[in-house]
Amino acid sequence: MTTTMALGIVLFVLMMLVGGRAGVRAFIGLLLNFGVLFFAIVLVAFHFPPLTVTLVTAVIVLALTIFLSADDDLSSTVAFLASLAVLAILVLLIIPVEQWAQVQGFGPEDSEDLEGMSLLIGIPFIKVAMATAILSTLGAIAEAAMAISSGLNEILEQHPKVSEQGLMREGMAIGRQIMGTTFNTLFFGFFGGFLALFVWFSSVHYTFGEILNDKIFVAQVLMVLFAMVSVILVVPATTWIMARFVRYRRRHDLPVSGDLTQADHERLQQEALANRKK
Amino acid sequence: MKKRNAVHRLVWWQSLGLLLLGLLVIWGTAHDARLYREPVMKVQTATTIGVRHEKDDFDNRDQQVTQRLTGVILNGADRGQTVTVSNTYSMSQALDRDYRPGSQLFLTLHRQDGKLHATVKDSKRDVSLAFLVWLTFVLLILLMRFSGLMAFLSVVINALLFIAAIRLNGSTQGAGVLWIFGSLAVIFAGVALWIVIGLNRQMLMTWVATLGGTVLSVVVALVVFKLTKERGMYYESMQYVTQLPRPLFLAETMVGSLGAVMDESTDIISSLYGLKRERPDLSARQIFLSGRNIGKSIMGPLINVLFFIFVADTFAMALLYLKNGNSWQYTYQMNMSLGVIQSLISGIGIVLAVPIASWLASRFIKERD
Repeated sequence: MTTTMALGIVLFVLMMLVGGRAGVRAFIGLLLNFGVLFFAIVLVAFHFPPLTVTLVTAVIVLALTIFLSADDDLSSTVAFLASLAVLAILVLLIIPVEQWAQVQGFGPEDSEDLEGMSLLIGIPFIKVAMATAILSTLGAIAEAAMAISSGLNEILEQHPKVSEQGLMREGMAIGRQIMGTTFNTLFFGFFGGFLALFVWFSSVHYTFGEILNDKIFVAQVLMVLFAMVSVILVVPATTWIMARFVRYRRRHDLPVSGDLTQADHERLQQEALANRKK
Repeated sequence: MKKRNAVHRLVWWQSLGLLLLGLLVIWGTAHDARLYREPVMKVQTATTIGVRHEKDDFDNRDQQVTQRLTGVILNGADRGQTVTVSNTYSMSQALDRDYRPGSQLFLTLHRQDGKLHATVKDSKRDVSLAFLVWLTFVLLILLMRFSGLMAFLSVVINALLFIAAIRLNGSTQGAGVLWIFGSLAVIFAGVALWIVIGLNRQMLMTWVATLGGTVLSVVVALVVFKLTKERGMYYESMQYVTQLPRPLFLAETMVGSLGAVMDESTDIISSLYGLKRERPDLSARQIFLSGRNIGKSIMGPLINVLFFIFVADTFAMALLYLKNGNSWQYTYQMNMSLGVIQSLISGIGIVLAVPIASWLASRFIKERD
């Protein structure tokens, strides 16, 4: 048995023991995400446009992550819509900044790995760099959106009469709570994985200026910052969408938190029919 | 109403200040060439002088474009001199790029018979970097206020500790990389939690849970490595390795997962504190079960965060492998397998933090804290 498989089995068993069915679902989500990501790379290798492939992949990944680990419809729908909105803003930020920073492809530190490879593959690496930046933030977007929306759902359960302004305040408060720890997750996640590169910088005695302009370093820092920006934007986006949902539900006399019942859905349909007849 | 106006005015002045700071940062980094020792050139004209179509052994088609760049040197002894360099770039731009009027780049200068010759070294990237740092800072302050500032501060302090650890590792020739980063993980977590939670019982519990989850995941990984004899682990595929790869890999994994394990433990323990405040009559067993319930809904998304960070990074190299006629399997092995193993070990740490944090909370939570 390979080490990967053995570790996978250990993780699966632990997730099942700790999380029960939710744990199994989350594990399946992880597997599917890997499959989707790998498939995206293969599609780009077949000369499908990198950015289109990435956007489709991103929507699939967000849906998988959010709907496979949420408990109720309201918070998962809100989290999904909010993460799509943030994804759209992020793409508009990533494209010009990557174009400006020119951190695509490989750096001089990669030359040993590139030996004997043909670099003239006819696929613009700048688009690949944009794709990488977008993909690397997806997990963070989904996680933050779910944290905010399920927190708000809980508040709605306990205080169903909370005003829209009160809800906005609560959402921002939850955001402030998670910001510190989320930033740490991103910081350690990105830089821990690149420990070897920093050891390289230190052993080859790069100057401060060289590091600040180094292709791989800048690419990495830009990705951390994109992820941080997206987490910051997720907070107001999720809260605002949640407030819209609550307004809608109140207007139609529906329960403000959690799932709608079958009876609620039927009533909504009848109302819609009645409106059309008018 | 008056108070509200005052608040509005404050926000307005603050936004204006942040905007001016941004302009200053961008203008400053665009004119900081004199701080560099390497010669910096600003391109004034760029003319394409030749296009060559290329086809490699794997039937990939590309173009090589040669351009002539004329510009002024911005710093050093040759400041103000005009030089002309030639630059070749491909359509893929894997290691090269095209330059346009206005771009700044580093040069290598050499004199021959008193004449100045120059070659392109690399582009100058500090302006774009500074811009994004500024943007993140502004959003953080405007939307998150004081907590945003604290989050920023915690990242800065951790970055400084990180640099110190790397220096220390360099001075010991990498012999004790696991020990250095292991003990640093303890300090990292302590400092970060101190800033986020403050110095109290809750922080202490979160700290212990974080370290417990991280250490246990490394132990589990080592046992699995031993039992499977590390089959399917391609240390030779690790990038930028200058010292023994195996301990370095473990250190990378440990530091990489630390933040996420901390995230999970913080969420569980602080929610349980809230729960206990609302319902002081909860028994230890009920607290443990609630902790598990909170933990199980966040562990999946958290593992995903790290997975995307660890694996998305391999996109460019994996693509290059595929286009160089390698099989899917070989591409996976050489580029993604270590990232996947890292995600799995981190995942184990994140999941193990759930029972540890819930148990600690169930035993040591006190109502008045």
